[in-house]
Amino acid sequence: MKCVRCLNDTAAKFAEAPDKSGAWEMYICSKCNFSWRNTEEDDVIKPKLRDPNFQLSNEEIANLQILVPVPPLRK
Amino acid sequence: MYRDLRDFLAKLEQEGQLVRIKDEILPEPAIREIGRASVDLPNGPAVLIENIKGHPGKKVALNVHGSWANIALMMGLDKNTPVKEQFFNFLDKWDKYPGETKFIDKDKAPCHEVVIKDNINIVEMLPMFRINKWDSGMFFSKASVVTKDPDDADNFDTQNVGTYRMQVMGKDLVGIQALGFHDIARHITHAEEVNKPLPIAVCLGVDPVLTFMASTPINYNLSEYKYAAAINGIPMELTKCVTCDLDVPACAEYVLEGEIIPRVRVPEGPFGEFPGSYSGTRLQSQFRVKCITHRKNPIFENLFMGRPWTEIDYLMGLNTCVPLYKQMKETMPEIVAVNAMYQHGLTAIVSTGNRFGGYAKSVAFRLASTPHGISYCKNIILVGPDVDPFNLEQVMWSLSARVRPAKDVIVIPNTPGMPLDPTSEPAGMGAKFIIDATEPTAPDVVLRDTRLIDNPDSKGYEKIIADLQKAVAK
Repeated sequence: MKCVRCLNDTAAKFAEAPDKSGAWEMYICSKCNFSWRNTEEDDVIKPKLRDPNFQLSNEEIANLQILVPVPPLRK
Repeated sequence: MYRDLRDFLAKLEQEGQLVRIKDEILPEPAIREIGRASVDLPNGPAVLIENIKGHPGKKVALNVHGSWANIALMMGLDKNTPVKEQFFNFLDKWDKYPGETKFIDKDKAPCHEVVIKDNINIVEMLPMFRINKWDSGMFFSKASVVTKDPDDADNFDTQNVGTYRMQVMGKDLVGIQALGFHDIARHITHAEEVNKPLPIAVCLGVDPVLTFMASTPINYNLSEYKYAAAINGIPMELTKCVTCDLDVPACAEYVLEGEIIPRVRVPEGPFGEFPGSYSGTRLQSQFRVKCITHRKNPIFENLFMGRPWTEIDYLMGLNTCVPLYKQMKETMPEIVAVNAMYQHGLTAIVSTGNRFGGYAKSVAFRLASTPHGISYCKNIILVGPDVDPFNLEQVMWSLSARVRPAKDVIVIPNTPGMPLDPTSEPAGMGAKFIIDATEPTAPDVVLRDTRLIDNPDSKGYEKIIADLQKAVAK
């Protein structure tokens, strides 16, 4: 399944309404960690309608800043 | 005062500061709309949302700290207490540290009424929602997060309780923003140096003073639990986690127990942050939830954070002011009060006496050299001891009637800045903008002979008129 943010085929369903009513389902992308619910506004969950400023390209994912670096192992 | 969130919600309801929404709603966009609306109302109430589609029986509490009335009630004061009085009340309670802690048996703690270890799925078990439209997922924005230093695990006081943003990243996976200056980052680093997972407990829906202290910048070796007990005036009731040795509030609504995965960083964000703008997407730490415990009929408390002012500004208001006041007062006794409530102190107003000409400007330099002020305090306004820094009308009067622009306005370029401040360029650099609106004192040239209007002694009539107004409102 395609991720609505990074557009890779790396998303999958991971949750549904716990009362089994089918009220909503949720999906998550294993590459960029974006998650969404199928009942959200169209401009949040439809890639063509999303604000391009909040999309994430593969190049951007590959160059994300690390805020706290992993420290060296103690000897 | 309040043993837990439920006690406080009952008090808020009794005081007309809590409302319930019973209509069925979908989490998005309704919950963020409710969060925005409740904080925008004068004396905005807390809101309990009781009917969320797909989550029968689950409740969301919003805006619990979202007005001065609610903050005053949390501190055991009348809901109409002026902010300056709330500041001095908090200062008195601050000095009562340390308060007592009391341990409750694991099997008897209310937070362990329901224990779930199998088939964990966070978003099915908690009624989570997207806080702002362009957030990268569902975030915890008001949790009290507990960790210990693995190198100092028996030290109760360095056990940290802090508020960090956390993004759900799967059935049982959560990302956490631990910045370098956060206490938790020190714990994560020590665990990662030996490649060991770090136990973590995410406590949701705790007593309101603990939430308040978890977002207060206190020294590393002081205990948030003991501070909360000192301010609350009752012992802090704790219990042990089910799966690890961490101490958690016994009456929390939910506790998520897990382990931070060592030496891993994953994409996290963006998230709508406290300056009113979105953070970027960065690589951050991640933990796996191994156990969820909760009370019967649990209440999920979370925080809507939008363009200021929203609940976070009330929650981080007085607890930003008090540590700055304490640090400055040590060497500058002329300081009367500090109002650093604007975006965590990006703008701060200090009321101070002028010991001699130009002294107030030195007060500004002192503020700009406190640990928090170095990067946060950008716009610094000094007012005289006769001006209430929490009363913006009085502050503006002071600017209007006491500032000589050529002498009293200074910009110091290229100082440290706060990276989340959108004007910080490059991120982390900034400037200091100082306005001295105190009355000049010799040897400075004093203002031309001015006779201020004295205020009549109106306190007696203030009470009479306020009581009459209350009676009319009934």
